[in-house]
Amino acid sequence: MKTSAVFSAVLSLLSLASTSSAHGHHHHHHKHSDSGTSSASVPPAFTPPQVFKNVNLVHIVSLEKNYVKESINVVIENIDKEAQSDYILPFTNEQLSRLGGLEVRDRKNAESGPFIVEPVKIELFGPNQYVRVRLPTPLAAGAQQTLGITYYLLSAYKPLPATIKQEEQQFLSYSFSAYCPSVYTTSKQKTEVKFASTNIPDYTKLPGSGDIKEFPQKQGSKLVYGPFDEKPAGALEPVQVRFEFNKPLIHVSHLERDIEISHWGGNVAFEERYDLEHRGANLSSLFNRVKWQQSQYYNPVTHALKEMKFPLRVGSADPYYTDVIGNVSTSRFRSNKREALLEIKPRYPLFGGWKYPFTIGWNSDAKNFLRKTATGGFVLNVPFLEGPKQAEGVEYEQVVVRLILPEGAENVKWTTGIPKSSISEAGVQIHKTFLDTIGRTALVIKGRNLVDDFRDRDLTVTYDYPLSAVLRKPIVVFSSAMTVFVSLWLLSLINLKFTPKK
Amino acid sequence: MDQSVNDSEPLQQPAPPRGSTNHQITAIMSADSLERLAVAGKGDSTRTLLRVIILLLIAGAAISSRLFSVIRFESIIHEFDPWFNFRATKYLVANGFYKFWDWFDDRTWHPLGRVTGGTLYPGLMVTSGVIYHALRALSIPVDIRNVCVLLAPAFSGLTAYAAYLLTNEMTPSSSAGLLAAIFMGIAPGYISRSVAGSYDNEAIAIFLLVFTFYLWIKALKLGSMLWGALCALFYGYMVASWGGYAFITCLLPLHAFVLICMGRYSTRLYVSYTSWYALGTLASMQIPFVGFLPVKTSEHMPALGIFGFLQLLAFLDYVRSAIPSRQFQTFLWVFAGSVFGIGLTGLVIATSAGYIAPWGGRFYSLWDTGYAKIHIPIIASVSEHQPTAWPAFFFDLNMLIWLLPAGIYLCYQKLADEHVFVIVYALFGSYFAGVMVRLMLTLTPVVCVAAAIALSTILDTYLKAKSPIPEEHLVEEPTDGTSKKVSKPGLRASSKPYIGIYATFSKVTVAGAMTAYLLMFVAHCTWVTSNAYSSPSVVLASRMPDGSQHIIDDYREAYQWLRQNTKDDAKIMSWWDYGYQIGGMADRPTLVDNNTWNNTHIATVGKAMASREEVSYPIMRQHEVDYILVVFGGLLGYSGDDINKFLWMVRIAEGIWPDEVKEREFFTPRGEYRVDAGATDTMKNSLMYKMSYHNYNNLFPPGQAQDRVRGVRLPDDGGPVLNSIEEAFTSENWIIRIYKVKDLDNLGRDHASASAFERGQKKKKVIKKKGPRVLRVD
Repeated sequence: MKTSAVFSAVLSLLSLASTSSAHGHHHHHHKHSDSGTSSASVPPAFTPPQVFKNVNLVHIVSLEKNYVKESINVVIENIDKEAQSDYILPFTNEQLSRLGGLEVRDRKNAESGPFIVEPVKIELFGPNQYVRVRLPTPLAAGAQQTLGITYYLLSAYKPLPATIKQEEQQFLSYSFSAYCPSVYTTSKQKTEVKFASTNIPDYTKLPGSGDIKEFPQKQGSKLVYGPFDEKPAGALEPVQVRFEFNKPLIHVSHLERDIEISHWGGNVAFEERYDLEHRGANLSSLFNRVKWQQSQYYNPVTHALKEMKFPLRVGSADPYYTDVIGNVSTSRFRSNKREALLEIKPRYPLFGGWKYPFTIGWNSDAKNFLRKTATGGFVLNVPFLEGPKQAEGVEYEQVVVRLILPEGAENVKWTTGIPKSSISEAGVQIHKTFLDTIGRTALVIKGRNLVDDFRDRDLTVTYDYPLSAVLRKPIVVFSSAMTVFVSLWLLSLINLKFTPKK
Repeated sequence: MDQSVNDSEPLQQPAPPRGSTNHQITAIMSADSLERLAVAGKGDSTRTLLRVIILLLIAGAAISSRLFSVIRFESIIHEFDPWFNFRATKYLVANGFYKFWDWFDDRTWHPLGRVTGGTLYPGLMVTSGVIYHALRALSIPVDIRNVCVLLAPAFSGLTAYAAYLLTNEMTPSSSAGLLAAIFMGIAPGYISRSVAGSYDNEAIAIFLLVFTFYLWIKALKLGSMLWGALCALFYGYMVASWGGYAFITCLLPLHAFVLICMGRYSTRLYVSYTSWYALGTLASMQIPFVGFLPVKTSEHMPALGIFGFLQLLAFLDYVRSAIPSRQFQTFLWVFAGSVFGIGLTGLVIATSAGYIAPWGGRFYSLWDTGYAKIHIPIIASVSEHQPTAWPAFFFDLNMLIWLLPAGIYLCYQKLADEHVFVIVYALFGSYFAGVMVRLMLTLTPVVCVAAAIALSTILDTYLKAKSPIPEEHLVEEPTDGTSKKVSKPGLRASSKPYIGIYATFSKVTVAGAMTAYLLMFVAHCTWVTSNAYSSPSVVLASRMPDGSQHIIDDYREAYQWLRQNTKDDAKIMSWWDYGYQIGGMADRPTLVDNNTWNNTHIATVGKAMASREEVSYPIMRQHEVDYILVVFGGLLGYSGDDINKFLWMVRIAEGIWPDEVKEREFFTPRGEYRVDAGATDTMKNSLMYKMSYHNYNNLFPPGQAQDRVRGVRLPDDGGPVLNSIEEAFTSENWIIRIYKVKDLDNLGRDHASASAFERGQKKKKVIKKKGPRVLRVD
């Protein structure tokens, strides 16, 4: 039941991406629920047609950060008689729930944008799900094309051992297939696994082929499985690696990011609320302050999260850092012409299994983000994500970006550099706040399974803000104040007293 | 009786002119804003406008002088009790009034729980809730925390206004009211309980107290049922807000009684008192926590007694008008005597039979300051229940305290009904303020009023007296008898205009001196507020070597850790001081908290803290304790820690288990309370001692471990060993230490042997590792 729910969620998000127009403009009246019709035409029992062959495939599994980044560079060839445009990618149900940022590009033609990817709708209980990649131009029979497929897997690691002492090193394990999962025959392939450190105590060894005796080959902080010879469609070779990762596994289960634009104040206010947790190895014996304090003298590498750095846009001001019980004083803000760096420390060092939800916020001049178009509308360009920039990376399970436009803003259109497959929902709502009468227009975009690699992707919003809406608030406030005064004056005319007897 | 009838003869004389002037004065001075609006434009408008502006400025000063902590720290709830009020307010806002009313809180007093809705004064929370929802309705989305933090300053502005109104009832001098307002606004005695963040019942109660008194005076002067009802209404609000309402309940009857004894019984008194008492008592009984107390406890009996007495007097008044005077004399004596006798015997019988509860412990401690220390250590353990040291009066009231007698003296000069009230209030209030530190708060309003009367009289006398000739016209209304009396016989007799108080020299001297005093007063108030009353106590401030402020935030660090990293229903055992904070900030169930209603439960925690581990562990298991929280100031030199409070835990536990916990055993044979090597075995084996110093000496080089609060070096014996609990978290500066209670041993061993086994095995392993190495070297 759970997997089906997950799958339908994935299905809906991918189908949303598919129906969005190619240039990325979403209209806010768009309802994604009706978009299921496009994939409903696929028969329930789906077997991918064997129309392609992977001529050469390089699978790079990057375990350098606290999420997994996989990139597959593959030369595909159409072995069918007709031109084909649908390349199928297989994922397991479980993978799909943790998969994010799936992008497919043409390696030879970098300028052409990402291809459209959409899920293939099949029976919900099968172990495998398929994602269809729409090639922009159908590939002629016998022709070849090079695809660059990248995606991220969140919550991918298991700490091994699961509990460690606070001064011990943390090791993680990751399981995957040495043969890149594919629904097509693969003639030649290899899998590279990259690590953050050279300390890789355990990894599955496979018999070699050709002049290589044994796979994998270890090259510094890299393991290479392959090259392998031809493997049939669906061939898998499960392997497991265990490696040192003495850094925190920062997992943001929920991020709410509010961006409030004030035309009157000429200000853009940001507020971000993080539900952060450390997914690493738990402490085997409880926290020991003496050991922690002593270890701080020589500042070792530790798997505890001590500090986070938020490089904000230059010109950001008035930052604040709070949590549910008030201000947190352990923060620094460095602001000058070149940078605006917010450094925050959690109230306590964060060890595996510990949580620390917090809120940060800051202001910025509207002119840094907002510009007026020739036609009188406004264009707002803000980063979609501005989370901490950590060497070990940050993963976000749920992201809700709420763009609160001025009261009366209309005709909202948006586009973003975030992969369409990671946007699960978007729509315009009403947000009522300071002295609003009809409420402000709020564009709410929900993303899922994002990572800090997407920090520099923008969110561009265009909207109209007519003069009547601009003047609404002063008029409302003035008239209601006048009403109060006049009614008070009228009330004062009423004589509440009994006529004096004397 | 006899005396009072005789006394009334000479005293009656000032009364008639008073009555008439009072009516005139009230006609002019009535602070009714509606009336003022009507008066505006008839010549007084400038004055009214000026007064409104001054009052607004006073309110502004009152509010802004309370914002030190918000500016210095942040918008945060202070200290202990406010955290409960804040939590209750959040509950009210989230769940609505009726759920709040029926709130059973299972997260406090585990496993008993607390019928919170029925055991609190809801006035404060409801006030904040109403303000919150009103602002929301105006679509001003304000955080409930900010409403709570700023409630006390906002109400202090209103209190200043209420003091203005009250003082205006006392004297015709218009400056007195304004002076009283500013005194009330910035007097440290009131600020101590109403800085921003001090979200306690007193925050609104002092306004209600002063305003109720104003309405009472108003009702009494006019003999008006309307004002009496208004007085009852605000009295009801006061009852809903603060347990100190009993002060009104006792003071108003006392005032009435004194008036009667002075032979000043009148229908005005009858109407105002009966309408206040009847309606006010009904209103107060609507609060579940008060319920039937007004007819059942001794504290409320004076009010009931005076109510009955007034009925009698009214009846006698009627009888007197109906029968001849000689018969009346006899009738009076027989009747009054018998009724009084019957009433008193009835009261005594009802009390001894248990229908009327005798005076509560807190009330006893008001008569005998040593009472609580012997019988109810839990009351004595609270610092604000200690008797007041005399410098505290100067600290909290500064020059007002020496103006108070002058003001009282001036009240004696006039001695109208309302002045009797000030005198009674001042005597009553001074006594209680001397007995209990926190009751300084109830004294402050009358001190402000009396001081303002005195000061304004001085200033009026010296500044307004321009020359004797126009004085005669002026004197009649605005500065009646007072100025004449203060300025001594010289006023009428002197023919030379430029001596005495008319001389510029004396005017300048007095005015200059008073200005200097006032400026010093303002400086003092600012200093006191800034230094003594603006610390949130949740957050501590210290200075870095470079002079920048460093925030010590250990409390919140630990509370946040508890909140995030323990399971939602983990029970926390701590001394009761921290119960409300744990409930508010860590959001975890506690065993005991600052609502000290169950002494036995608190004593149980005290016993667990004061006993050996083997005794404490079963107690903690029985109470499902998951974590224990202790406050330890040894590293930082933070003196308000648990070791310093420990003796109170011992005393309270001893009160219930005198055989198991003995205070004497915590003192050395020479009677010293020590924590170093010379500490007694009982002390060293107590759970509290072990938890405080566990692992502490590892922070120092061997033998160097030092406790900076007690200023002693700790024994170099490896520190206390804990078997049945383990350290779970210690905050950055070691102020908060949290221990986890171990589960029962898997192999059924007791904890001491289990942990001894573990330690032993570890040592063996170390030896084994070292063994081969030595061989290799060989």
